[in-house]
Formats: sequence, C-alpha cells, structure tokens
Amino acid sequence: MYKFISSLLIGLSLGAIYSLMSISLVLVWRSTRVVNFAQAGQAIVSTYIAYEVVNRTGSFWLAFFVAILAGALLCAIVDRYFMRPLFKRVTSGPIVAIAPVVATLGLLGVLRAVVGFVWGVELKPIAAPVSLDGYSLGSEVLPFAPYNALVIVVVAVVLIALSLLFQKTNLGLSLRASAYSPEIARLSGIRVNEIRTLGWAIAGAAGAIAGILATPTSYLSPNSLDILLVFGFAAAVIGGLESMVGAVVGGLVLGLGVTFVSNYVSTSLIFPTAFVFLIVILLVRPSGIVSGKRSRRA
Amino acid sequence: MRKRLLLFIALGWVLLLIGDRVDELRVYQGASIAVYVIAIGSIILLTGYSGQISLGHGALMAFGGYVAALCVANASLPLWFAFVMAALVTGIFGGILGFAAARLSGPYLAGTTLALAVGLPSLANQFSILGGEQGIYLDPGLPPASLGESFSQYKWFFWITTLAALITMFWLANILQSKYGRTWRALRSNDVAAQLCGVHTGRQKVLAFSLSSGLAGLAGALLVLTISTVSPSAFPLSLSFALVTGAVVSGIYDLKGVMLGAVILVIIPEVADSVASRFGDSLKITSTLPGLLVSALLILAVLFTPNGPGEKLHHLRHKRKTHSG
Repeated sequence: MYKFISSLLIGLSLGAIYSLMSISLVLVWRSTRVVNFAQAGQAIVSTYIAYEVVNRTGSFWLAFFVAILAGALLCAIVDRYFMRPLFKRVTSGPIVAIAPVVATLGLLGVLRAVVGFVWGVELKPIAAPVSLDGYSLGSEVLPFAPYNALVIVVVAVVLIALSLLFQKTNLGLSLRASAYSPEIARLSGIRVNEIRTLGWAIAGAAGAIAGILATPTSYLSPNSLDILLVFGFAAAVIGGLESMVGAVVGGLVLGLGVTFVSNYVSTSLIFPTAFVFLIVILLVRPSGIVSGKRSRRA
Repeated sequence: MRKRLLLFIALGWVLLLIGDRVDELRVYQGASIAVYVIAIGSIILLTGYSGQISLGHGALMAFGGYVAALCVANASLPLWFAFVMAALVTGIFGGILGFAAARLSGPYLAGTTLALAVGLPSLANQFSILGGEQGIYLDPGLPPASLGESFSQYKWFFWITTLAALITMFWLANILQSKYGRTWRALRSNDVAAQLCGVHTGRQKVLAFSLSSGLAGLAGALLVLTISTVSPSAFPLSLSFALVTGAVVSGIYDLKGVMLGAVILVIIPEVADSVASRFGDSLKITSTLPGLLVSALLILAVLFTPNGPGEKLHHLRHKRKTHSG
C-alpha cells in the first residue's frame, strides 16, 4: 500500500514536469507546425543560468524567475532570428518538409555545446529549496519528499495561470486565433507574427520551469534534459499534440505509467515503457487520447 | 545499368589501389567512410525519396551491430553471413516499426525515432545476453592467408567495408531509378496524388522504412567489425544526429553527394582534436567541440545549401549562363 501511494505521488510530480515540457512543445507546434527539438537546449541554457544565480545569491526562487525570463527571451529570439529566416530561405525541394526538424536539431546541438564550453561537462547539482528527504509514515519513509509536493504545487499554479491567460484575456484569444487560423486572425487585425513570437516566449518559459524543477532531484549536465524532451514529446503525442489539456493529461499518464513500471517491474524499463506508450497510442489512437477533429498531418 | 556496373567496378579498383598506397590510419578512416556511406545512403533513401525522417538510425545501426555480434560470438557463423543476417533482421525490425511509422508524418516520426534512439541502447543493459555496458566482443578473424603475410587487419576491414559500400550504392542507385524509386518520389511530393494513381501509400512507406533499416543494420554490423566490440556507448544519440547531418550536407536527394557527407563525418573528430590540442586539451573543449561542429554544419547546410551542394552548383551555373546570355 505504501508502495502504491508513494508511486502515485512520485508519478504525479514526475508527470507534472513532463506536462510542462509537453505544453511548451504543444504551444510551439500549434502556432508554427514545428516540433521544437531545441526546447531541451533552450531549457538547459536557462537552467544553467539558474544554477549560476543559485551559486551567486543562494536563492532558489530568484534563480527560478531568472530562468523563466531567460527561457522566454531565448525562445523568442530563436523564433524571430532563427526560425523566421529559415522559413523564408528554405522554400523549395525535398528538404522543405524536414527543414524545421533538422534546424531545431542543429540548434539543440549548438546550445548543448555552448553550455559545455561555458560551464564544463561535469555534473552540477542545484540545491532544492525544500527538503529532498521523504515524508515518513509511521516507521516507513516514503520516497515522496516535500520537494515533490512543491513541484506539484508550482506546476498547478503555472497551469492555472496559463489557462487563465488563454481563456480569459484578449491576449489569449489572439494567441489561440493566430494558431488556429493565421490568415483570418491577420484579417481581424491581430499582428500574427508578433503574437507567434510571444507564443514561443510562453513556450520557452514553460520549458524553463520544467528544466529547473527537474534538476534538483538529479544533476545538471549539457545533455541532462534530453530525457525530459523525449518524455515531453511522448506526453504531447499521447495528448494529441494539439491540445494543452491533452499535454497535461499525457504528461500525468506518462509520469504515473513510468513510475509504476519502475517501482513494480524494473527501473531500467523507464525508456522502453515510454516508447511502448508512444507506439501503442500511435497505433491505437493516432489523434491522441484528448483529440480534436483535425487529422494527423504535418 | 551495365555502364553503371562498369563505373562501380572501376571505382572499386581505384579505391583498392589507393588502399595499397596510404598508411594504416588512412586505411582505417577509409573503412569508416565506407560505413558512413552506407548509413547516409539509408537516410537518403528514407528521407530524400520516401519523405520520412528518422532521428533514430543510430539505434537501428546498434540493432544490426548486436545481431551480427550475436551471430558470430554465439552461433559462430561466418562473417559474411552475420552481415547478411544483420541487414535482414534489422530490415524486418524496421518493417514492424514502419507499421507505426507509416501512419506518421514529419515531426511525429522524428520524435518517435528520437525516442527509439534514446531508448534502444539502454535496453542492452536489460538483457544479459547483450553483455551490458561492456557489450559483446566480435572477433573479426584474420585476413585470409592467401592475401600475403603483410596484409594488415585494417586493410582487410577496408576491403570488406568498401566492397559492401560499393554493392550498396550500386543497389541503391538502381532501386532509386526503378519503379520503386519513382513511386517513393511521387509519395514524397504529393501523397494524395500518388494514392489517386493507385499507389498503396502505407505499404510503400513501410517498404522504404524497412529497406532503409536494413541498410542501417548492415552499416551497424560493419561499424562493429571495425571497432570489434558492440556496446551501447558505441551508438550514442549523437551518432543518429551525425547521420542526419551527413545526409543533409550530402544533399538529401543526391546519392552522388554521399561521399562528401561521409568524408566530413570522419574528418570532424580529427579537426576537433587538432583544434582542441591548440587550446590545451581541456575536457570541456575535447568533449564538446565535435558536437558543436556537427550541429553548426547542420544549421549552415540547411540555411545555405538546403538541397545539397549539387543543386547549389547547378543553380550557380544556371545563373551565370543566363547572365552572360
């Protein structure tokens, strides 16, 4: 029973982080039809910046907000000065269909290398703001710690803020409109390009939060967030890649699934589990478990 | 086709002569180039022709490598048979994967194959028959005695890999010009139109994915031959990325450019080493520079020669002609 409860809780906190990464991929995909593989690279940059801030000032929360800002800024820059010129340049030939994938992949590599140059490739820790020791229940010590609870709370707050932004504000409306139908949005007086860059910035912020929340329970290295990217992508696909609700559901499903498999079967089956999830969803329900009507074509 | 066969035989002869005249290191690099030629060829078949993208070909290479090593180490089958098995079994595995892949397009496929690349090597630690982190030793055997005393092992690798690469390229060049190649191109440019012309899109995509996987498996087996062990660390994520880079640099649609991509992939670590030693060989630089070079090259290639150097040259020549005329 203890094992079940702690798996459930750990799964939730893990799933919460996957959800954020997944949301950041979904936001970019909805507005630009690009799966931003460089998101892991951008998150690693913002997380290293956070590491630097924690080291200098000792404040996790200051670092947290600096990371969000850095992530948002970096993502906006990537859209404005990298993706847009790319779309303008690459317009013909067989490369067009794969150019965004290839370009974000290249960017991922460059960002990883830059981080390696600046901070080195050794593993670096970021101290958690609250205890990482599990709660004790009677004589048992659960693996679920105050930090995991904090992760769930922070992600919940971020999700509520995001859904308020998207559902209740004019800005959210223009974000949704320009993702849904850019031409009609432009005709209605929305500055689609600027809104799109803003959407990227929000995605970058979500990715940055995922990055810094994931780090205290493990270590930071130039490729430590690649795993998060893969899980975030799997979560996004489980959720249908179009929907933010789907992204959250997908993240939680994946987090719980992975945790239960690693606690009850074997810890080394984490990746295969995620992969099987991905393949099964794609075979059985290609439009995701929270699906819209649109068919799955790039 | 006969002309092409003669051309390939001549090319093989020239390579053989070159192999006799350069030192051991170059011969070894030649073998690596041949391996990359096959691997990049498999990506060109998949991406340039059938329009599917894979970021997981490194994992498929690992699959082929393990198949070959198991054939030699456990069943003590002859080397050539192990290579055939590697290509076949990986092809079948790719076909199964292709059933999922054929439903996907663009980024879905990219992400799924990326997950494969991250996940498959770690599976090797799960099954004891695969030898965990250390992997399996593959005894490449000595070169046949009839080739003479002074015939080195590296030259033997070079012969095997070059022969495999030549056969592969010959086969690829033919199949891409055949009915299948045309069908795939039709699929890539407009799958609805292709379907209207009676092409079974799903089946053709699975076929392309399966053939491409088979080639990747063969390349993996040959790679394992040249390094004589197969282990998860020999097939990192960066290998899959490097293959995509190689294919984009070669021109994703251009089989002739394959040599260029393969040579660049082999040269990059060497360039990185020499640059790193100039900056005092710190771990920081030696471990990040190759990745930086590969990724930067990928970005530059996409921005400046998106469809390969061949097309760029063609364009330039065309421009000059219209200017002077």
